[in-house]
Amino acid sequence: MGLLSIHFKPNFLGLLKCLNKLNWFIVFFSLINLSVCIYEDQIGKFDWRQTYVGRIKFSQFDTVSTAKKIIVATEENVLAALNLKTGQVVWRHVFESTSTGNIQLLHVTEKVVTVTGSNPYLVRGWDSSTGVLLWEWSLTLQNEEQSEFSEFWVQNNMLVHMLPVFGSHVEVSMYNLLSGQNRGATSKLPATWTNDGCVLSAPYYTCISGGVGTQQLLSLDVTSNAVQLLSRPISEYVTVNTYDGGLRPLDTNNVIPAFTLDDKKIVLIRNNQFEILKTEVVDPSASVALVDTMHGQVILQAWFDENEGFTVKAHNAATGAEVPELRVLEPELKLAEPELAAATCSRPRDQLACRLLLTGADDSVHLMQQGGRVIWSREEALANVVAVEFVELPVSDLDAAIESEFDQKEGSIWAAFTRRLQTQFQQLQTLIQSLQKGEGEEDEAPPALVRDYFGLHKIIVLVTDVGKIFGMDNLSGALLWQYYEPSLDTENVLVYTRRTARYPPYDAYVTIVGKHEESGNGLIISLNPITGALIGEKLMHLDVQLLQCALLHRPDNEKLYALILLDKDENVQILPGSAAPLVENMYMYVAEKNTARVQGYALVYDGRSLWARRTWQVQLGGGGAARVVLAARKAAAERVHSPGRVLPDRSVLYKYLNPNLVLFVTEGPDPLHKDVVVATCVDAVSGAVVAAQTHRRARALPLAIHTEHYLAYLYYNDKHRRTEIATLELYEGQSRWLGAGAAFSSLAGRRAPSVERQAYILAAAPAAAATTRTEKALTDKHVILALSSGALVEIPWGYLEARRGGLAEDGSVIPAQASPPELLLGGDARLNYNRSLARPARVHAAPAGLESTSLVLATGLDLFYTRVAPSKTFDLLKDDFDYYLITIVLAALILATYSTKYFASRKILKMAWK
Amino acid sequence: MSQIKTNKKFKWALDFNQKNRTAATELPSPPGYSASANASYTESSKDTDSNLLLIKKLWDVALGPLKQVPMNLFIMYMAGNSISIFPIMMVGMLIVRPVKALFATSSTFKMVEGTQATGQKFVYFIGNIVNILLALYKCQSMGLLPTHSSDWLAFEEPQTRVEHIGGGISLI
Repeated sequence: MGLLSIHFKPNFLGLLKCLNKLNWFIVFFSLINLSVCIYEDQIGKFDWRQTYVGRIKFSQFDTVSTAKKIIVATEENVLAALNLKTGQVVWRHVFESTSTGNIQLLHVTEKVVTVTGSNPYLVRGWDSSTGVLLWEWSLTLQNEEQSEFSEFWVQNNMLVHMLPVFGSHVEVSMYNLLSGQNRGATSKLPATWTNDGCVLSAPYYTCISGGVGTQQLLSLDVTSNAVQLLSRPISEYVTVNTYDGGLRPLDTNNVIPAFTLDDKKIVLIRNNQFEILKTEVVDPSASVALVDTMHGQVILQAWFDENEGFTVKAHNAATGAEVPELRVLEPELKLAEPELAAATCSRPRDQLACRLLLTGADDSVHLMQQGGRVIWSREEALANVVAVEFVELPVSDLDAAIESEFDQKEGSIWAAFTRRLQTQFQQLQTLIQSLQKGEGEEDEAPPALVRDYFGLHKIIVLVTDVGKIFGMDNLSGALLWQYYEPSLDTENVLVYTRRTARYPPYDAYVTIVGKHEESGNGLIISLNPITGALIGEKLMHLDVQLLQCALLHRPDNEKLYALILLDKDENVQILPGSAAPLVENMYMYVAEKNTARVQGYALVYDGRSLWARRTWQVQLGGGGAARVVLAARKAAAERVHSPGRVLPDRSVLYKYLNPNLVLFVTEGPDPLHKDVVVATCVDAVSGAVVAAQTHRRARALPLAIHTEHYLAYLYYNDKHRRTEIATLELYEGQSRWLGAGAAFSSLAGRRAPSVERQAYILAAAPAAAATTRTEKALTDKHVILALSSGALVEIPWGYLEARRGGLAEDGSVIPAQASPPELLLGGDARLNYNRSLARPARVHAAPAGLESTSLVLATGLDLFYTRVAPSKTFDLLKDDFDYYLITIVLAALILATYSTKYFASRKILKMAWK
Repeated sequence: MSQIKTNKKFKWALDFNQKNRTAATELPSPPGYSASANASYTESSKDTDSNLLLIKKLWDVALGPLKQVPMNLFIMYMAGNSISIFPIMMVGMLIVRPVKALFATSSTFKMVEGTQATGQKFVYFIGNIVNILLALYKCQSMGLLPTHSSDWLAFEEPQTRVEHIGGGISLI
């Protein structure tokens, strides 16, 4: 444009020319414009998906088919095949998350057989290489009450079902595995000695029965035609005085029936006889497995010791001698409570080679080769993410130096000059270093964790259900660090970023507030999200249960936001304690989930201590026995760029931007309308109810959106049997209550905003909802819904607008872009194209440094990360922008300009001589 | 004398039978030539005439902008109220031309130092102002003037807050 203004001559022709050129510029920039969807070659460019299966329940090596696999069945009701070499999911079936999907049996031969559900059971056969369903039949038990103690196993191509009725008898039925045909009647074996401590080690059912001191070890082959009860006094095996009833089946065993007694002795049943092994259980917590090898049966034991690390020992079952090749001692591997999920031993070149599949208490899965080499690991804890936080990366050392240079305002000119020289020298050094590196090896280390120019690179802190915390690189999805806290109960866990990495001498600071697993007391974990190292309060056990906690709005002089903890007795603690004088104008609210009572507190600092004063109390839900389904408030540091909405007649409808507004959705029974959902907007400072509405014959879903002046929540309409989304918009009106830039106080005014309401039909089952967030809130807000169908859809707010189709103040109808009450979720609204997400549970959006872009992470059984640009990427060139072409064109134009200038001057000279 | 008489009688008649040859030295004036008429032309009368003309011309210039008003109105009508490249160009032209003309007023009226110069300048000025007003009206009707509060919304200071809150559903 600078060039243009030089050429601009103040005449009409000039104007025309200028406009003409401008026209070309418009055409040119429209070429840069970007589309909503992605192209085929952009698949996986801005997004990634990671598939998980959950904590492993059953697993077996598939050694029959050519492509070696491990078939796993998990606590998440997933049946999957994992590649033996890489650990990737080959195929996966996600069953129902309720009890109908519970996997009771996994049996792998040429085919994979599963039994799922709980009365009725479904018996299915799967092709092990493709995961295709081969057959299916159902099994319904007559006896409802006892069915939960059912045991299944496969024997001689028959499915055996055993149902013990404790203290009475054992019912055994056998079915044809493929057809479900019952072979004869159910046999009832009398067994008065059974109790709920019995174990099955197919086909033997083993119990310890009898009074203290005279206990008998009893075992019965339930499949044999002749009932033969094995019975031995327990005193033959263990000292009766110390015995406390411990009877455990082995963790992995498909060789011969075996179990451990009192976590010490290993007992086999061979030839209808108990046979006690010479090998004893080394560690009470050890996981014991029995594997068949060419040297006979081998007992494997794996355990973890804080001092020695992870250990595996193998003993020959027959002789009791240790098998030294299988011994593993890995002091580095931190695998708490390891469990031998599966083991297989082969004999390539007459050497014993075993592969062990290990699961830990932290849900991680490791495939270990003998010698302790871990072939691959999977962090299955990520299948159950409960909290997500995006954390900024620190600037590079060089940038930090530059910033600090400009921070130092004081000092003479000479000091500033020397500083400048130093920085320049540093920059030169890094340049030379980078050049040297470029000449040498191309890529050795992964890119350093420093902030990129557009702020797209962040760290995602993920807190998982099992208590493991991960730091993940958002661009690649790689795990950077992990921290496992076994005592962390992550129900209602809260994550706060208390200091970003923006203040170089200080580390970034993230605090996780959870509960202690046993006591329920507060447990606070503070760590550096960049490295995963504990900092500050580190691991802090509180001696009281927490009611709620909040982040102070003001940082202290170390740029750290203090954490305010309100405990059960309504005492207030603040971390760090030195921040107490900073507490001012701070309020808290606590909603009791089951009584729907909301209590408001004002936090007061009286010069010595900090305490909470009860200020208001609201009973939600219209008086009935309601319960709070959710409480949604705006993001703490939310920016609102535009204070009003421009109407078609160019007047402004000012938004009601109360930062202290909280949306409560309650659900309660109603004598007339079955269930009633009540949504109430409460000012959390004054306790004033700003807006409320009721849906009759509806059930609430714990999904809501609250941003700027918008509120939206989802509920299930029982009457019409469909999900609906109700939207509310709060407006001050055509004139504003406060001047521009004034401070909003909930206690100052008592004016009620005007509320626009609307509800739309959503022809899908949503599982999670969120809005996009951007740095300066200039960009449009879109709603992101994760649907149970596996789609992640982005809906512009315009489709959900409460003012749509209504009457404007001047009587004219606001144009409804697409008036049907049903929200149309087109294919292009889907963010995850064909990468369906199994069981999505949460969606989290965070702003990127680039104003147009918002980073989105959907969690559930799968993790899916992508970035969205609700108003298109107006501040970024298109992904496939042709830099070469534009450079060539520019160079050619410059060349052409100068050559024509030269030729023109020559021509003029020639003409002058004529 | 008779000759003179005839001469007087017929202005255009030529007497070829002239007896008095001595009078031949004094050539008669060419036909249609009148010595008296020739003498009546003076420099002063010529001067006043051109001045009048100039004044007339300058009045033309001064009234030019006003005379353009109907034409501009027509152009405005034809351009319509849509925002696209040609109407914008036309409106730009409408607004730029009178402004430029206003700046060039002194140079336009440079050669005149007459009695009517102030009046002319005034009329010229008025005419251009009328044109500018017309163009502004056009901008207004096209919605290009930032006259509504909505046009300044983006520059407003964001609202700040006094109280801060924290909390949620009970963790117990």
